[in-house]
Amino acid sequence: MNAPLLEVTDLAKHYPVRKGLILARQVGTVRAVDGVSFTLNRGETLALVGESGCGKSTTARLVLRLIEPSAGSLRFDGRDITGISGSALRAMRRRMQIVFQDPYASLNPRLTVAETIAEPMQVHGIGDAASRRARVAELLGLVGLRAFHAERYPHEFSGGQRQRIGIARALSVQPDLVVCDEPVSALDVSIQAQVVNLLKDLQRRFGLAYLFIAHDLAVVKHVADRVAVMYLGSIVETASKRDLFATPRHPYTRALLAAIPHPDPTRRGRVKPLGGDVPSPMNVPPGCRFHTRCPFAQDRCRKEEPVLRQLADGHAAACHVAESLPPAGLDFSGGLAPAAAMRLALYARARDAAA
Amino acid sequence: MSAATETSEPIAPPRPGILARLLREPAAAVSLILVVLIIAAAVLAPVLAPTDPYDNDLSLAMQPPGSPGLPLGADAQGRDMVTRLLYGLRVSLLMGFAAVALGGSLGALLGFLAAFYHRWLDGPIMRLVDILLSFPAILVGLAIAAIFGPGIFSVVLALSVATVPLMARIVRGSAMVVMRLDFIEAARATGMTDARLIWRHLAPNCLSSIFVFATLRFGQVILLGSALSFLGLGAQPPTPELGAMASEGRNFLFFAPHIAVVPCIVIFIVVLAFNVLGDALRDALDPRLRV
Repeated sequence: MNAPLLEVTDLAKHYPVRKGLILARQVGTVRAVDGVSFTLNRGETLALVGESGCGKSTTARLVLRLIEPSAGSLRFDGRDITGISGSALRAMRRRMQIVFQDPYASLNPRLTVAETIAEPMQVHGIGDAASRRARVAELLGLVGLRAFHAERYPHEFSGGQRQRIGIARALSVQPDLVVCDEPVSALDVSIQAQVVNLLKDLQRRFGLAYLFIAHDLAVVKHVADRVAVMYLGSIVETASKRDLFATPRHPYTRALLAAIPHPDPTRRGRVKPLGGDVPSPMNVPPGCRFHTRCPFAQDRCRKEEPVLRQLADGHAAACHVAESLPPAGLDFSGGLAPAAAMRLALYARARDAAA
Repeated sequence: MSAATETSEPIAPPRPGILARLLREPAAAVSLILVVLIIAAAVLAPVLAPTDPYDNDLSLAMQPPGSPGLPLGADAQGRDMVTRLLYGLRVSLLMGFAAVALGGSLGALLGFLAAFYHRWLDGPIMRLVDILLSFPAILVGLAIAAIFGPGIFSVVLALSVATVPLMARIVRGSAMVVMRLDFIEAARATGMTDARLIWRHLAPNCLSSIFVFATLRFGQVILLGSALSFLGLGAQPPTPELGAMASEGRNFLFFAPHIAVVPCIVIFIVVLAFNVLGDALRDALDPRLRV
């Protein structure tokens, strides 16, 4: 029972780039995901964060076996699922589901809500028509919709409601693992909070494990137990949420955290944005893949690829100089500078007094 | 509204059925009635027709419409136009339906397979389609008539073969767009079989383009079938067929224009009615356009 639910080892997805019409020869490789390892326990949320194009969504699809890995292995509940196919794979799909980013594209416009939610149960032969109908009503209630919504079509709902329908569909077969591929980034902020809280609530009730893909660190801070930071197809740092936000050990993580908008005007000018662009995954830099943009890069970083190594309990980073980095110098925990905090407290007191 | 009704579950208003939605549009209602009448006329031709389609009376040849006992006149052989048209409608409709259904479903299947198994089947299927496209329908018709002999069967076969590549291309195009949408991936993630995925998720979302093309093609097929008949590959005289009747009448265009014009008008009405109905049906079947 203490074994992790999901164990990912050295997972990679390389896409060959071919050129030429008749005799296509391979001119390069896009290393979308390049040796990713992590574990996920039951009932836990692991957030996978990183910039656009860093391989987060590819990793999610690899985990679900929606695309085939080029290398590496996947173990789910102690069983190797890297090579299974056919009916074994279909049976396995019952235990892992996905919630998509775009609530407008993720529901079949030709099926009613009831048909959409009941379909996974039908596919896996769970219950009869009547019990499935009852279960659909129950699921709709769970995600905060009403039973009469069952006969409607997706276009009759708002983005947030559709995302709830997508969540209900994922939960219909009682999975152990739900991959959430940026489930709230297409929703506006007030709805984001509702959906995130719904996901957390459902996790508590059903002991779900989430692989939560995100680029919004504020959301991550709210939902995650552990965080893995990805850069250019590989993980550069993993830590518990608290450790990561308090003491980031990788320069890239620091840059990401420093880029969070902060309600403190005195920070302006103290935060130096990261220069340069993400290198192309077709042309990954030798050595540390972050050295082209890293303010602390040394000769060693240009030659030798750092491995993800344990720096503290449950805190690992792939950086040669992690120990010798200067103190981060910024408070990433979302706090305010003392002066600003005092001023806000003053406003609050004044408002209370007036009320 | 009392508190009791507020707390009870609101009841969704009953949704209008497909027929009700179809009839809301006046043009659709008219075309539906027309199509029903056309099909009824074709099916009931032996009952409705005043005479036998092969009965000729040369003394009545080329009688204009409105002559006693001949509301639409008689053709060059003195056969009643009404009878000929009713029987001709049978042959033409059968030809159109059979060719579109046969060629269209095979073409749609190829299109779905090419889009769904893009990696393995797209190349082979689409090259096959290109080969089929490079033969003009008339040439295919000639070849098939040479093998099976001229007749309705050959025409239907030739027109089906000519419809396959067109439908395959159209379906592949719209299926490739649908394949990129997340709900296909969601369906795959539930672990359903490929057949179910294609049937329930891919095909219904390509329905609009299939409908539009099938109805357009229905009209084209009737006209093409007439052309083949005209070349002597299709319906053989004296079999009544709308296209063949029109081409026979063309010799008498100056003396008795009704022999050619009346079948043409019938073809026009049939094609138009089916096109309008097809469009309306496409809209009625799309849940997004429901009110």
